[in-house]
Amino acid sequence: MVHQLSRRDFLQKTGISFAAANLLAGLPSLGWASQAAPKKRLVFIFSPNGVIPDHFWPKTLGSDYDMQRILKPLEPFKQQTMTIKGIGNLIKGDGDGHMRGMGCLLTGIELFPGDVQGGSDTPAGWAMGISVDQYLKNQLQANADTQTRFGSLEFGVMVPDRADTWTRWSYAGPNQPVAPIDDPYQMFDKMYGQAKNRAMLASVLDDLTDDFKKVEKLISVEDRQLLDTHMQMVRKVELELQAEMAQQKKQDAEQSGDERAELDHAIPELPPNVREDNDNIPQITKMQIELMVNGFVHDMNRIASLQITNSVGQPKMKWLGIDEGHHGLSHEPDSNEDAYEKLIKINTWYCEQVAHLAKRLADTPEPGGNGSMLDNTTIIWTNELGKGNSHTHNDIPFVLVGGGLGFKMGQAIDVKKVPHNRLLLNICEAMGYPQKTFGNPDYCGDGPLTGLT
Amino acid sequence: MTFQPKFVRTTLPLALLALAGFGQVCQADEEAAREKGRQIYTSMCADCHGEKGEGVAGAYEAALIGDASLGELTNQITKTMPEGDAEACVGPDAEAVAAFMHYAFYSEAARIRNRPPQITLARLTGNQLRQSLADLYSHFHGAPGYTNERGVKGIYFDGSRWKNENKKIERVDPTIDFDFGKESPGEGIKKEDFYIHWNGSIIADETGDYEIIVRSTVSFTMDFGKLGRTLIDNHVQSGDKTEFREVVRLTAGRAYPFKIDYIQRKRKTEQPPASISLSWVPPHGVEQLIPQHNIIPFTVEPTYSLQTKLPPDDRSYGFERGIAVDRQWDDSTTAAAIEFGIVAADELWPHFSQRNKKIPEENRARLKAFLNEFVETAFRTELSDETKQLYIDRQIAESPDDHEAIRRVVLMTLKSPRFLYPQTDATDSLSQKVANRLALTFYDSIPSDRWLLEKIERDQLQNEQQVREAAWRMVNDFRTRGKTREMLHEWLNIGHFGEITKDEARFPGFDPELIADMRASLDQFLDDVVWSEKSDYRELFTANWAYTTDRMGEFYGDQWKPEEAAQPAADKLPRGPAPQELRKTAGGGEHRHGLLTHPYLMSGLAYTDVSSPIHRGVFLIRYMLGRTLRPPNAAFSPLSPDLHPDLTTRERVAMQTSPESCQVCHSRINGLGFTLERFDAVGRFRENERDRPVNAQGSYTTRDGREVTFQNEQELAKFLAESDDAHRAFVSRAFQHFVKQPVAAYGPEKLDELTVKFKNSGYNIRALLVEIAVIAAMQSHHTKIAG
Repeated sequence: MVHQLSRRDFLQKTGISFAAANLLAGLPSLGWASQAAPKKRLVFIFSPNGVIPDHFWPKTLGSDYDMQRILKPLEPFKQQTMTIKGIGNLIKGDGDGHMRGMGCLLTGIELFPGDVQGGSDTPAGWAMGISVDQYLKNQLQANADTQTRFGSLEFGVMVPDRADTWTRWSYAGPNQPVAPIDDPYQMFDKMYGQAKNRAMLASVLDDLTDDFKKVEKLISVEDRQLLDTHMQMVRKVELELQAEMAQQKKQDAEQSGDERAELDHAIPELPPNVREDNDNIPQITKMQIELMVNGFVHDMNRIASLQITNSVGQPKMKWLGIDEGHHGLSHEPDSNEDAYEKLIKINTWYCEQVAHLAKRLADTPEPGGNGSMLDNTTIIWTNELGKGNSHTHNDIPFVLVGGGLGFKMGQAIDVKKVPHNRLLLNICEAMGYPQKTFGNPDYCGDGPLTGLT
Repeated sequence: MTFQPKFVRTTLPLALLALAGFGQVCQADEEAAREKGRQIYTSMCADCHGEKGEGVAGAYEAALIGDASLGELTNQITKTMPEGDAEACVGPDAEAVAAFMHYAFYSEAARIRNRPPQITLARLTGNQLRQSLADLYSHFHGAPGYTNERGVKGIYFDGSRWKNENKKIERVDPTIDFDFGKESPGEGIKKEDFYIHWNGSIIADETGDYEIIVRSTVSFTMDFGKLGRTLIDNHVQSGDKTEFREVVRLTAGRAYPFKIDYIQRKRKTEQPPASISLSWVPPHGVEQLIPQHNIIPFTVEPTYSLQTKLPPDDRSYGFERGIAVDRQWDDSTTAAAIEFGIVAADELWPHFSQRNKKIPEENRARLKAFLNEFVETAFRTELSDETKQLYIDRQIAESPDDHEAIRRVVLMTLKSPRFLYPQTDATDSLSQKVANRLALTFYDSIPSDRWLLEKIERDQLQNEQQVREAAWRMVNDFRTRGKTREMLHEWLNIGHFGEITKDEARFPGFDPELIADMRASLDQFLDDVVWSEKSDYRELFTANWAYTTDRMGEFYGDQWKPEEAAQPAADKLPRGPAPQELRKTAGGGEHRHGLLTHPYLMSGLAYTDVSSPIHRGVFLIRYMLGRTLRPPNAAFSPLSPDLHPDLTTRERVAMQTSPESCQVCHSRINGLGFTLERFDAVGRFRENERDRPVNAQGSYTTRDGREVTFQNEQELAKFLAESDDAHRAFVSRAFQHFVKQPVAAYGPEKLDELTVKFKNSGYNIRALLVEIAVIAAMQSHHTKIAG
């Protein structure tokens, strides 16, 4: 189920006395040790088509850095934010800039030869290796102390309904793209479907019992025994469900009594009838972020990704007064002032979403721990290109928010053209799984970047 | 063949012979004999067997019931009873006791008289639930009519897109199994840049898990069950990933539309050679190309098959019945309802909404209209205001989200007794009740086809003629064909064969592929007979033709060679196994007697190294002749052939079952089983065993006491084709399978009436199914409305 057992419930259920529990506390199989070690969470957020560097990167480096227009929404989190300039996605091989930008971003390795043709480059298939989010998920899931129900959750926002190299950035292995779930209701089902269905069943069975009595009149007296047995069972199931839900409420109350009001709603409520549609992007994004925060609160997963649209994504941000698609605009030369301004606005909107997630995490106390959830989570916001109209893979945006990885935050740095594989190594190391290489070893030469901690 | 009805002196009360034509006197004498028998029984037998043969705890516990003839019963009493003093009750005394027992409680007639079977309330069985949900889905799209067309529609384009002006080939391919290599797939098509669109519908013959396998070296996507429902997305051809597998649970008697869009894209880099095959692993099968006879060359209406696993139903009476309500079943219906709720919201609702734009969306009117149609179809009735209020209005008021409202209503509807118990229709119109029973009989389902619903609406299922007409319309349907196949499998008890394995040293080449061929061969034979013009039951035992494959020809020899040579196998390296290619046998039918001597049956009813006359005998007596047998006194291991190298199988079995206590049943079992001794452990014909000619003589005592002897399987086959006992067994099995109630519940004379009708129709199986459905449907004319 969704809920973590409280320590007391655990003891009740396992029948272990407090004294014995203290003796057992050292045993990893019972999982008490994990309560002590702070959780580390990681969120990757993708927005497409590059940025406008002049209004994105801080002009001043170091802890005294400044936030330009696009990053302004992150101002409240300046001390928990780090911008890393100078990172390039240097992976070569088959595939156009967008495809490699997307498919190699978290994998750090080339694409297979294939038949998907973009631009004037050679065609390509899927990435040849696992992506860092899935790699870390596997490590966490292999360890009883860090194992969670899902390990990772892959969120999306308006990802086109086709699987190709532009719509996938997470890979479970070579040739194994992971499809993001971009329908919040579907994600809700995955996370809470069981609990929700049980609640629905309980309420429906209540109504059904009355109808059983009416139906009984439609059959002969001799035949009623079967129906009676059935009805008794329905009652029994209903009572069980009620008891189960009462128990859940009790647990929720205990958690919320711990000054955590938002835990009152173990199952979040989504607004009704929000269908997948361009104009619903802002609402869908909020819904997905809400679900993501909820998943973390209930420790369903430690890794998450949020893929807003896709590489070459064409959202039309009408809510910002922009009618053109994003990708189309991103090809306009810098001299097109109108497009230039719109691109700043578009990227600012993406940043607002990152900031919104940061705020939700910052406002949520760490369950069973100290501080806020943001203190134990790092958001990594990135992009498949450095700049849209040049399709450059240099200066790929990397903006980190939050304390999960234990990096030195509150600074802007420039690492001057290093392959992004090295940053992937930093991430692995910070999560507790240091690696000599990740992706293509040729780009891992000097190991993890220095200066991040 | 020698029919030798022997009226054995000791086995028949003299009075019967002497007084034929003097009914009154005869009856009086019979009664006197029974009274005498009752007195002897009370004094000598009742202590151990109970006053009414019900059994006595600590003594002989099993009830004295069975279907031995009066003669057999007398014989048994004479030889074995009372235990330890068999001489105490012989001759006329034994005859009298047998007459009493037979009449008072032993025979089937006595049991029906003492405790008339009733039509009992039953919930939907697992299978009926599965089929009902399939039809609930199909109701919104329409159900496909039966068609004989087979193959896959292929449309070939020059260039990688659908452009009508670039369409070069449009044809029906037998299967999907192509290796174009680096060549063009057809005239006018560029070899490096083409698109092939295949579509069709895959027929599932049985319910179960099917693994669908596509092997393709180039880009393709596959939709299955409904166009737009993606099963495999290989839009991106990437590296050397060329094999794609998906498991789907399919429901028998349903066709699943599919399409494959196959694209060789032009590119700067080197292209892989183009090949593709579409295979499956069906239940009880091995991987094979999806055969032509399982594909229709066009896409039928969308279909849905429940993926939730449902627990097996009670089969204690020899057929599935929904008479047990337990937690596991209840949980499975919840899981099924939740699964279906998602499909209803995601697929049925948008479809309905699209087609009913005239209904306004204000106040969720369109949603209500959809749910109304859904609930009415599920409940097989027009909804009362009260029911509508409870199941629809109240539920959607709870759910502001439309999808959630649908899921809620679906959950409640499918958990409702109104759906789960089809017999809760006492207050419905006659036509509605008739349609409910027809749909349940033929399809294991709800009435959901438009034409049938119209008949209900117009109340046109009132009299027997109207019902019979509707039944004839329903018999030739994919669903009925699926259910008929299941019935025949039950009749042949194939489900109990398990995995057939043979001694590898003795029978090299008897592998899973061969077994799959044999099963397909038997199924195709059954289908051919049932769905041929004559639909003649007798042909099941008299046909000297069969279906076969090259593999079967190789293993079983010349008698099993196919009539035509197979298509020359192309280089099939990158693709899966070759097609099965069932074809008719060329000849050599001398020792072939329909299904009776079919190698699938013969090898299923045998040990790994030797034949088993006992398995075969039990199969014949229980299943083909519908007689009852007590279970053996204890579990026995067969005598090992190695320890008795001088004995034939027949001799070994005869020796092991020679004790008197075994002979009670084995005199009946062995006599039948021995007749098939000319077929060895794998069902190969043989004249000799251990260098001695096989003795395949046997015998059988019919239900009415005639003794029949057989020289060999040929005479047995002829007997099974003509025997009343066999006809009755078949009719009874068919009735139980289709109606899921005992036939006697519809009247003590119904089985005999039906068997006579069957005979008069020239043993037409389809006509039998129609008559069965008519009996089940007309029964609603006689039900009293309770409550």
